[in-house]
Amino acid sequence: MSSAAPQRPNGLALFILPSVLLFALFFFLPIGLMAVMSVLTGNPVVAPKVAFTTRHYARMFDDPYYLEVIWTTIRIGLVTTLVALAIGYPLAHWMARIKSRTGHALLLMAVLAPMLTGIVVRTFAWMTLLSDKGVINQTLISLGLISQPLKLMYTETGIVVGLVHIYVPFMVLTLTGVIGRIDEQLEQAAENLGASPLRAFIEVTLPLSLPGILAGSLLVFALAISAYVTPILLGGFQIMTLPILIYQQISANFNVGFAAALGIVLLMISLLLVIAYNRALGLVSGQRELQ
Amino acid sequence: MMKALGSSRLNRRRFLTASASLGIGTIAAPYVARADDPTLRITGWGGKWGEVMKAEIGPAFESEFKCKLQTDSAFPYLPKLQASSRSAPIYDVLHTNSNEQWAAAEMGLVEPKIDPKLVPNLADVYPYAISDKIVGVSIFTSAIGLGMRTDKGYSGVTSWKELWDAKYNGVRGGYVIPVNSLGQAFLMMCGTLFGKGQLDLDAAYAALEKLKPIKIVDFTGAMEKMLLSGEVGLCVIHDSGIYRYDGQNQPTDFVSPSEGVLSLEQVLTITPGSKMKELANAYVNYMLRPEVQKRLAETVWYSPANRKVKLDPKYDAKLLTTPEKVSKLIQVDWKWYNERKDEIDQRVNRIFRA
Repeated sequence: MSSAAPQRPNGLALFILPSVLLFALFFFLPIGLMAVMSVLTGNPVVAPKVAFTTRHYARMFDDPYYLEVIWTTIRIGLVTTLVALAIGYPLAHWMARIKSRTGHALLLMAVLAPMLTGIVVRTFAWMTLLSDKGVINQTLISLGLISQPLKLMYTETGIVVGLVHIYVPFMVLTLTGVIGRIDEQLEQAAENLGASPLRAFIEVTLPLSLPGILAGSLLVFALAISAYVTPILLGGFQIMTLPILIYQQISANFNVGFAAALGIVLLMISLLLVIAYNRALGLVSGQRELQ
Repeated sequence: MMKALGSSRLNRRRFLTASASLGIGTIAAPYVARADDPTLRITGWGGKWGEVMKAEIGPAFESEFKCKLQTDSAFPYLPKLQASSRSAPIYDVLHTNSNEQWAAAEMGLVEPKIDPKLVPNLADVYPYAISDKIVGVSIFTSAIGLGMRTDKGYSGVTSWKELWDAKYNGVRGGYVIPVNSLGQAFLMMCGTLFGKGQLDLDAAYAALEKLKPIKIVDFTGAMEKMLLSGEVGLCVIHDSGIYRYDGQNQPTDFVSPSEGVLSLEQVLTITPGSKMKELANAYVNYMLRPEVQKRLAETVWYSPANRKVKLDPKYDAKLLTTPEKVSKLIQVDWKWYNERKDEIDQRVNRIFRA
């Protein structure tokens, strides 16, 4: 007869405790409270009679306006991600493959430099460029190329421009690490076997960098759909996204329940994306599912 | 052999300890000395208002009433009050615009009226300041009208309806109606201008549709900057937003439309759960004192609510300081508006989306 030896608690596990507590207190608890508030008629802490309701969600799905807002948010997120990827990938590839240490350092500094300035400041800088009285329009008017200012601000394009500028570094930094770990000899082997550089890139480098593409895209998409400052300033309140609507519901309509429901929907969109990402990554890396 | 206690020899460690203690003591002394002072928690604006409150008005109140004023100037205030306990609210006195005060009163977050027995200066205010359109008391008001550039040849603007003139396409300015008091008041004005009155929402919506293209902002401060930069040429704005640049040679002016100006009240209310009721009433009374009203009015260009205030001629000429001038003010029925706010917000969000 064998008896299972009692498992000794791992002393190192205690080091994780503060992080676990921090995560529980500042992540799970607020989200849990938000989920609860989204299905209640009021705040149970201050209101005596509070009941369960689905009206906040029903309101969202009954009125096509809110569905349009959700789709606008997702669309801006998708376009921002694709543009950031298109700009970020070549830059990341260059950074990962550059032989010169100085060159790498300079490129890294160039990517990181914008991150040393706040998002608000960077967005205001874009406003000075894109507004009717901004640098671009005034230059074009003074050159006689246009008579009326181009509508560069207060459009989705304006928002995407601002978001891409802010989030490209996240894409580049994520991709650089992944591309840097790909063995260059694999590309050389493909070329030795007769593949052109382009084909070697498409059939070797690109598939191997897919985890980086997915991770970078996930990061940029999640940041873009939850952005508040840039869509407000560059969209001029004429492009409504979920974060703006949530702020409006809390600050001006004092409808915490509906704001919580909108927040949960935003969270669900992100979660669905993470699940899809995990599955895609599992398929790419040959596993059924990533734990 | 043990070193004798109380040795007076000064070594480096003792010197550093003593210096640190002295430094901490010096920094902490005012807080320790005033630890027992009662604290009145209020809300208030930033900018010039915040500066004069912090430098003069606030300290004078603290000194006279032996208390400490703790001001929250991080807008929005109402969600924070809403989230705090009714019996221990985050604020004792809520200072905000009238529409939010009505929402707060509807939620039971503030007392609907101020007791004239506890606030004697209430007897000296213009009727609008304590009318049935006001929760609490309005201590100041601004006139909402039109702001215009004077360097673009837009002369002869006398009516609200000029804002709909096609020549202002591209340089017309308005507000995000769901979050801005001026925008909400303007929507009601649209009902008066093009329909049967303030409550004619259909006429207002139709008028707003015709107002496009329009540049919209969330705060009056942003509109001031747009007007100063020439990004807008004619816009809805309150008189303070134009007059505060007096003496700076800015090519802007305020127009009081012939149909009347809308009232943008600065309202004070007291929270029901406040433990500092006496001090809160004293604060409201203090803010209505003629000398306090004069100082603030001449700093931020708000029209004082106290009838007895005598402003210097420069301010008296432009602000609403006589019964005749005050009678031009149009007050909005915020209770009615707030009951329909969700419906209005949904509609105007659709109207102004790109």
